Amino acid sequence: MLMKTTTQQSLLQLDAVCARLGKKDFGPFNLTIAKAEKVAILGPSGAGKSTLLKLLSRELKTSSGDIVFQSRPLASWSLMELSHLRAVLPQNSDVAFGLETDLVISLGRVSRAHDPDLANIVRQAAAMAHAAHLLGRRFDSLSGGEQARIQLARIFAQLWDQSNGLILVDEPLAALDPGLQFDLLASLEEYATERQHAIVAILHDINHAMQAFERLLLVKNGQLVADIASNREAVPALEDLYDIALTCMHNQEGDLLVTPLRASSRARKSA
Amino acid sequence: MKASVAVSGELPPSLQAKLLQGGRPGLLLVLSIALLVALLLSVQFGAVPVKLQDWLTLLDFSDEQTLTGSSYVLWNIRLPRALFAVLIGAALGMSGALTQGLFRNPLADPNLLGVTAGAAAAAGLSIVVLSGMHLPIPMSWRMWILPVTAFSGALLVCFALDRVARWISPGSIVGLLLTGIALNALGAAVLGLCTYLATDEQLRNLSFWTLGSLAGASWLAAGLLLALLLPAWWWVRRMISAMNALALGEAAAAHVGIDVRRLRTQVIVLVAVLTGFAVAWCGMIGFISLVAPHLVRTMGGPDQRQVIPRSMLMGGLLLLVADTVARCIAIPAEVPVGIFTALLGSPFFLILLRNARGRLA
Repeated sequence: MLMKTTTQQSLLQLDAVCARLGKKDFGPFNLTIAKAEKVAILGPSGAGKSTLLKLLSRELKTSSGDIVFQSRPLASWSLMELSHLRAVLPQNSDVAFGLETDLVISLGRVSRAHDPDLANIVRQAAAMAHAAHLLGRRFDSLSGGEQARIQLARIFAQLWDQSNGLILVDEPLAALDPGLQFDLLASLEEYATERQHAIVAILHDINHAMQAFERLLLVKNGQLVADIASNREAVPALEDLYDIALTCMHNQEGDLLVTPLRASSRARKSA
Repeated sequence: MKASVAVSGELPPSLQAKLLQGGRPGLLLVLSIALLVALLLSVQFGAVPVKLQDWLTLLDFSDEQTLTGSSYVLWNIRLPRALFAVLIGAALGMSGALTQGLFRNPLADPNLLGVTAGAAAAAGLSIVVLSGMHLPIPMSWRMWILPVTAFSGALLVCFALDRVARWISPGSIVGLLLTGIALNALGAAVLGLCTYLATDEQLRNLSFWTLGSLAGASWLAAGLLLALLLPAWWWVRRMISAMNALALGEAAAAHVGIDVRRLRTQVIVLVAVLTGFAVAWCGMIGFISLVAPHLVRTMGGPDQRQVIPRSMLMGGLLLLVADTVARCIAIPAEVPVGIFTALLGSPFFLILLRNARGRLA
């Protein structure tokens, strides 16, 4: 019975998916992303996080295995159909020719032939990404953090009037100061929850992952080493993942916070 | 489902129009008027003075229509020549804007990247080799040999560029321009070989044509060019929004629903057609395709939906002015217009390079 509900709610499903980049092998990955689920991908640099995300977004071809999106093989979707249900924010956010920010945001909806509410959506998406004051400026005149906000607004605009979609983001918070990191994480969460969109995000900050995401995918050496709920039980797996020691504490609201220590102190602890 | 976020009301209410159409048609109108004025002025200049009543000769149905003297010059020489210049300029401006959009860089240009040289080399080969073979080709086909071979040469170079640009650092303009140098050198070598093998008559033909000249203008040529440009523009209009998305990068463009591979192929074929036909009819006319899109982008913003039509008008305007100067500066002789565009364009390119120096490394 439980099995049945999970397959019904499944949004994206990977079955023994492998990829090969140069001489490096990735996978096999077996996982299911449920509708409206919030999943964080964590792992050391070069572990294959971006590769996994690119497999999920079809940017990278699989060498074997099946990916199913909304009960149809992912490969059988046309790019246009896919763009109405799935938005991807890549790590690199360069825009040529210095297009204006409102045009960049509206490009999220470029594949819609008829879009009567475009200007409204662009404005609201910009406001949600804390970028309303940046509208009308040239993209190449913005700082890294401002560019990241415009790109996030573009993702918001793309799936603004959809539900049950999928958002794939690669380190959306990397270029931002701590205050904005919390604001944008909250916006992303609110945006996805309102629309029942699932989020799969690559993150560097363990605390962000623990606070805003329900589930953690831990990637190391091109393999999925753990697929666990985001709670205190995950701490030992995280320590293994980064080869660090984590000290846990709680803030006044009762949220779990972790602070990393060097691996050598962990070795001493276990000895 | 709408988010409960405060929306600042500072934006102009025309945002919807701007996002859907790409802005006001102001600059387009200014350019059109400038082009019309330039067209009317340019036909006044030349060895034979044109009077006002020469314009009316075609409207005068009372007696037999025999164009003589200055009215003949106006209707059968100057006007087709001026229109031809405008149309070739528009084709060059469009191919420049498309190339820059495709390679996501304002320094990308069919000339600098060797597309023009490829077209010229192929056409040169057809002049020397094909005419040396004495093939039984029907007369009516002969006028298409040069355009078709030039198109094939341009297409070959375009696909080579597309490939090579992916091997060496993707998105790097330095790699692309270096590839252009190699392809230009190859084209020049093939043309040199043609010159070496050519007979005296072919040699005159070749050298005049490699300098770039609009002397081949006629109503027929202008009509054919228009018949080529109109469907090209219709085709471009269908993919013009997707060209904007290309500025996000190829991966991101695919994620917002653009079939990037198909778009690239279409743009490449279009650029090859436009460059190939321009080269076949006028030889190598440089820098219009580089300068026109850059000027309109500086004047009216980088939205491709505006840049491409404006580049066509600007290209037509630039080539018309250059050709008028080339016709009139040494009457009764005529300087090939390609020399003028290169004289004006080369310093312009150096200025562009200076402005882009931060992004070149």
